[in-house]
Amino acid sequence: MVNDSLFLVELNALVRRSIRACFPDTYWVQAELSDVRVNSSGHCYLEFVQKDAGGNSLVAKARGIVWANTFFRLKPYFERETGQAFVSGIKVLVKVTVDFHELYGYSLTVTDIDPTYTLGDMARRRREILDRLQREGVLTLNKELELPELLQRIAVISSPTAAGYDDFCNQLSHNAFGFVFYPCLFPAVMQGDKVEQSVISALDRIYGELERWDAVVIIRGGGATSDLSGFDTYNLAANCAQFPLPVITGIGHERDDTVIDMVAHTRVKTPTAAAEFLVNHLRQTAERLEDFACYIRQEVPSRLSHEKERLDNWQARIPSKVQMRLQKEGFAQERLSERLRVALRVRLQTEKHRLELWSRQIEAASPDRLLKRGYSLTLKNGKAVTDASRLHPGDEVETRLAKGTFRSIVKK
Amino acid sequence: MAAKKETYTYTEAMKRLEAIVAKIEGNELDIDELGEKLKEAQKLIKFCRDKLYKTDLEIQKMLGEEENG
Repeated sequence: MVNDSLFLVELNALVRRSIRACFPDTYWVQAELSDVRVNSSGHCYLEFVQKDAGGNSLVAKARGIVWANTFFRLKPYFERETGQAFVSGIKVLVKVTVDFHELYGYSLTVTDIDPTYTLGDMARRRREILDRLQREGVLTLNKELELPELLQRIAVISSPTAAGYDDFCNQLSHNAFGFVFYPCLFPAVMQGDKVEQSVISALDRIYGELERWDAVVIIRGGGATSDLSGFDTYNLAANCAQFPLPVITGIGHERDDTVIDMVAHTRVKTPTAAAEFLVNHLRQTAERLEDFACYIRQEVPSRLSHEKERLDNWQARIPSKVQMRLQKEGFAQERLSERLRVALRVRLQTEKHRLELWSRQIEAASPDRLLKRGYSLTLKNGKAVTDASRLHPGDEVETRLAKGTFRSIVKK
Repeated sequence: MAAKKETYTYTEAMKRLEAIVAKIEGNELDIDELGEKLKEAQKLIKFCRDKLYKTDLEIQKMLGEEENG
C-alpha cells in the first residue's frame, strides 16, 4: 500500500499539471473583491468571491494574486478609469490564469482588468440608490431648497488636512468683491470605508445647530482621484437629500457623478469651484441690492424733479390763465356796457320824443296861445271864471291878456 | 419713532426695499412720503451692504467659540 502511495507534493504536482493542461488559456472572470492586501514587495493578495442572488452567502471563492509588476500598472489605470479604489467589496472583470501550487494551492493570477465592467456595476448601484430615493420621494428635496440670498455662514465638511479645504477658504476670503464669508470646518474622513459614517455624523452635528448655518459644503481634496465609493451609499445620499440646508458638493472628480452629487442642491467639480459658486451667488445678491440702490438713487430725485417741473409748469400757466380770465371778463364787461349804452340811448330817444310830443300838446293847450289870439282869461280870487252867473255886481275880477293884466269891477 | 431700534433680516430688508421700489414704480407714493421712503431705503441699503461687506462681529464671535470650544 505504501509503495502505491504518493507524497503530497507529488499529488499536488499532478494536480498542478492537470490543471495547467485543462486550463491552458487566460479567462475573463466576473467576481467581487474581498480581503485585498498589498505586501511590502508590492504584490497584491486578495480573495475573489461570488455571492448568491440575495447577496448574503458566498457561493464561490478563490484566492487571487496580482504580481507587483502587473499591480503597479493595473491599479492606477483601474482607479483613474473608474474613480474607484481597488478595494474589497467592488465587482471586477479580470483576466486570469488558473494556477495551482503544491504549497499554496488553487489561485487565480490576474493579468488584466476591464474597468468598464466595474463602472457599469457602480452605475447600476447608483441607479438603484437613486431609484430607491425616488420611490421614497426624497430624491429632489435638497434641490428644491432655495439658496438664501445672504449665503455667508457655511458649514464645511472636509478633511482638515486636505489641500482642497485650504483652497476653498482662500478662494472665499480673497474674493474679488470683498464679500464676507463665515466658513467653519466640520471635520470628516473623506476617503475609504469610513466616509459614509463620518460625513453623516458631521451632517448630524450641523443639524444640531441648523439656525447658525446658511448652507453645507462637502469638499474633498484636489489630489489624485481615488476612492469615491464612500459617496455612493444610500444612507449618505438619503441624509443629504433630506438635509434642510442646501448642500453643495465639490468632491473633486471629473468622471461620473457620485450619488451624493446627484442629490445635492448644487454640484461642482472642485473645492475651488465650490468657493467660486458661493462668491458668485453673493455677487448676484449684491447686484440685486445695487440695482435697488441705483433705482432709488435715480428714481427718487427724478420723481422729485418731475414733480417740480409739474409745479413750475402750473406756476407758469397761472398768469396766462389769469390774463385769459381777465380778458374774458373784460369782454363781458364791454359787451355789457355796450348794451347799456345802446339801451340808454334808445330809452333817452324815446323819452325825448315823448317829451316833445307832450310839450307840443302842452303848448297847444296853453292859454297863452288863446290870449295871443285875443282871448282873455278872467280870474276871481285867483280862479278862472267860466260861468258869468257865478259873478255878482261889485266883485273884483282880474283879466289876463296876452300881455299884462287889468282889474275891473263887475257892474251887472 | 426714530429711537425705535429696527431689527430685520437681510431677506426682510430686501423685501422692504423691493416694496419701496415697487411703490415708486407704481407711482403710489405721495411726495410727502417720498423723502421719508428715500431715507428708509438708504438705511436698508446700508444695512444690506454692511451684511455683505462687513464682518459681523457677533457671528465671528460665535464661530470663534465654536472653534475654541
